[in-house]
Amino acid sequence: MIERILLFIMIIVGFWGIVTKHNIIKKIFALNIINNAVVILFVLEGSRIGSNAPIMESGITHIVDPVPQALMLTAIVIGVCISALALSFAFRLYKITGTFDVREIKRQVHHEA
Amino acid sequence: MKKIGTRIFITLGLLPLLLVLLPLFLDGTPWPVAVRNYLELNGVKDSGAINLVSSIYLGFRVFDTLGETIVLLTAVGGTIAVFTRSGAILTDGYYNSNISALTDSEKQMLLDDPSFTLAGEKRLSHVLRTHLIEVVTGVLGPVVLLFGFYLMLYGHLSPGGGFQGGVIIASGIIFLALGNRIGHVNFLTRALVLERIEACAFLLLVFASVIGTAMGEGFFTNPFNFIPGNPASFIVLLNIIIGLKVGAGIGFLCIALVGREIV
Repeated sequence: MIERILLFIMIIVGFWGIVTKHNIIKKIFALNIINNAVVILFVLEGSRIGSNAPIMESGITHIVDPVPQALMLTAIVIGVCISALALSFAFRLYKITGTFDVREIKRQVHHEA
Repeated sequence: MKKIGTRIFITLGLLPLLLVLLPLFLDGTPWPVAVRNYLELNGVKDSGAINLVSSIYLGFRVFDTLGETIVLLTAVGGTIAVFTRSGAILTDGYYNSNISALTDSEKQMLLDDPSFTLAGEKRLSHVLRTHLIEVVTGVLGPVVLLFGFYLMLYGHLSPGGGFQGGVIIASGIIFLALGNRIGHVNFLTRALVLERIEACAFLLLVFASVIGTAMGEGFFTNPFNFIPGNPASFIVLLNIIIGLKVGAGIGFLCIALVGREIV
């Protein structure tokens, strides 16, 4: 139970970071925290029905569910893609506006419009 | 200083989220065991891979993997496009530049940059690097690459596989880039080489997927079925292709992110 509560706190911290932080880089970090929390939650759920790693050497029984692990492999790679793309957008915004602060970016956008 | 209204607003926004997510996390519904039981009995027989995670993402769910590699390709392309359109120059390796072509004031500017260099080691060829980065990354780079290739090749037998091995190969490439002296580039830290490896690996993956169709069977059918006693060979092949693709792709992304234009 304690691990689930910790994961829940992790997700809430991620959401809190996305909502309240003004620095775009910190927002991207928060996005990564949520991603990691979801990955760990899936692996944790899959591990509830077994105790051995799903590598079927002779005599291995009672394995954990390998399906969430295979899916989370996908999620991890896509998380890396999302971070890279988000960082490149942050870089572009920085090149144009000269700041990572969303309030300042918003002000400049309104100023130009 | 935040206004008190903003804080109340944020708290009110997070509260519904808390109410929706908390039951999801504390939920005690039993996890379904049907798929696990099927895989435990038949997974090795059907796919030939002892590592069941490999047998899922390269056997039972290989379409998903094909889609994922397309996502990776799109992300790499998009990142590089956004990067180069916003004024950055793609360099090979970490902080690569031709030192002899710099003017004296530019050299001084490099030496005065406080971001990485320790005091007392102001050599122009090692600017922006501490001894730690130089020694550790330069020496560990080939070892990490070897470990990545091991994980990639033995993914069907032991923990590992194409994606994991590929990410470790990408780490090895970054280590090689960080460990090099400024102005020196390895074969593996050239952006053009990595780009081509990724493109070739994707082409190979598409080719491997349609080769079964050409032999009169389904999409992504194992073309080595006629070799008896060797059912995992297709998984090994796909692991190698995906490992090269992920390693080159993520290495290319990181080289693009650490490469730096000297203004």
